[in-house]
Amino acid sequence: MASRPEARDRPRSTETEHRPAAGGDGAADETALGGRDGAVALSLEGVSKTFGSGEDAVTAVEDVSFSVERGEVVGLLGPNGAGKTTTIKSALGLVVPDEGAVEICGVDVSTDPRTAYEHVEAMMEGARNQYWRLTVRENLEYFTAISGEDPATVRDRHDRLLAAFGLQEVADAQVRTLSRGMKQKSSIASTLARDVDVAFLDEPTLGLDVESADELRRQIRDIAAERDVAILLSSHDMDTVEEICDRVVIVDDGEIVVDDTVEALLGVFETQRYRLTVRGVEPSAVADLGVAVESVTELDGRVRFDVTADSDAVYRLMRELDGRDARLETVETAAPDLETAFRSVTGDDDRAVIDDDPPRTGDERAVTWDDSPGTGDERVTTGGDGA
Amino acid sequence: MSSTASGGYPRLLRAVVRREVVLFLRYPFEALGTIVVLGVLFAGIFLGGTALAGQAMADSIEGIVVGFFLWILAIGAYGDVAGDVAADASWGTLERHYLTPFGFGPVLLAKAAAKLLTHFVYAGVLLAIALVLTGTTLELDLVTILPVAVFTVASAFGIGVAFGGLTVLYKNVTSWMELVNFVLAGLIAAPLVGNDLLLALPLAQGSALLQRAMRDGVRLWEFEPASLAILVGTGVGYLLVGYLVFTLCQRRARRLGVLGDY
Repeated sequence: MASRPEARDRPRSTETEHRPAAGGDGAADETALGGRDGAVALSLEGVSKTFGSGEDAVTAVEDVSFSVERGEVVGLLGPNGAGKTTTIKSALGLVVPDEGAVEICGVDVSTDPRTAYEHVEAMMEGARNQYWRLTVRENLEYFTAISGEDPATVRDRHDRLLAAFGLQEVADAQVRTLSRGMKQKSSIASTLARDVDVAFLDEPTLGLDVESADELRRQIRDIAAERDVAILLSSHDMDTVEEICDRVVIVDDGEIVVDDTVEALLGVFETQRYRLTVRGVEPSAVADLGVAVESVTELDGRVRFDVTADSDAVYRLMRELDGRDARLETVETAAPDLETAFRSVTGDDDRAVIDDDPPRTGDERAVTWDDSPGTGDERVTTGGDGA
Repeated sequence: MSSTASGGYPRLLRAVVRREVVLFLRYPFEALGTIVVLGVLFAGIFLGGTALAGQAMADSIEGIVVGFFLWILAIGAYGDVAGDVAADASWGTLERHYLTPFGFGPVLLAKAAAKLLTHFVYAGVLLAIALVLTGTTLELDLVTILPVAVFTVASAFGIGVAFGGLTVLYKNVTSWMELVNFVLAGLIAAPLVGNDLLLALPLAQGSALLQRAMRDGVRLWEFEPASLAILVGTGVGYLLVGYLVFTLCQRRARRLGVLGDY
């Protein structure tokens, strides 16, 4: 079981941090597409929401602050019940926060929602985010028109979207007749049919096969870059988040515990996880070694276990093993994926994090390990219960 | 930069009407089913009433046909608004309608107006069936019938919008809606003579004027100004009250975080 890192070790950054605009000094620059590269498209500042009152009061989110720039894809992660949905709904004005402010393209959502909604669209219900009895193109046109744009004048944009998502052949087919993956793509296409600056995508790859999910990730990434759209993406699919997100915001118990780039987040954990294989020690004795031990496995007279610790602690552990006449055979350092980092940050081995993930084999979670002696990557699995 | 609601409300209305028409034409069997069900219902009332009441039924058949016509419009205006909100909420498209620069209320009204158009088609076809079935003739002056019918059903519309708000808040209000269905039928048939208070009820004044227009051939400009004022006042009044209830309900739903949940 992954241990929860101390708060001081967590890459916590709830302050609003803005990257400088590409090629500029941080000021908003006009791009060829008419977008303002680097400009903040969505910002939440001190958003809090409590449902109920008295003893029944439940604080869903507390003092949530982060921002998303144009062209940036940010993953909003968190265990079930952590406050992701409330955060998204508050950002959209679908939930009225008790405190804090949300701005979309500089427009306050609570005081001027109609102007704010000129800039934003959301896919909240996956493939059901559209009318299945309309055709794909009719959905694009309908949701464009009810935002005030003339669908006839943006037909080129719709054609490009249909092409990007591989939907040209089925543009005139009713959505209900399409496969699960095609429905999902159609839903995202209809979400981006308007000329939006900010898009919310909730579980965009939910239920898709591996190939379709890969393709969809590329398309979302490309569209964010080409159209300079800020995308806030909520997903339990860590592959999706790791592959297409520039940044991740992790919410746990209603508070932001991480706001950082994917690379930085993974970097924090890269040097903290070790896998040791030892001969001459009983599995039951491993727990007394003085470090947090996970995934103890007995292998032909050897014991393999994982630890999350800094290097000093690992050296102390080695000395301890030496003192017990145990022979250390291998030490591997982990190259953790985002899911590993996520679980460590949220301490979320017990909660159902991957409920909605595409099916995996059994109840196992994949972790990639780098073998320190340089024998290349070894793909192993840890037990589903994290023990 | 994204667009503003530059096309204005006509574009919004055109979009939702187009969707309604597309679905209406794409699923003709569904439309036919609605007409058959309501046609059979009317035939049952007419044939059963004739068997039981004989000449009395024959004497009042014109009024029954007009009342039936108005009832179809009224239940369409009333029931479809709340039904549409419930369908969007359960389907997952409600939030998208909320997130338009027009605002949720205008979108809801546009969708309701689009539904009403299809109900005018249903009502027209069923009126023709009723006239043929009963061998009755009525005055069908559209210049009079359409505005009177529109302001009459506006009050039912208002009740529907209010129930749309209650649906957003409480999700399932079907039992209450069925109750109101019966009340609407009663209001259409309400005797106005000697009871001015009834004039303030939804549908009642419009029903009386529509009876006079279709049975007696009274033209729009031949109605007393006070009668028309009551018609317009009740129609607009109930619509405004319904919209107010809707607005309050959706605000509360946003505070409670239940908008779109179903």
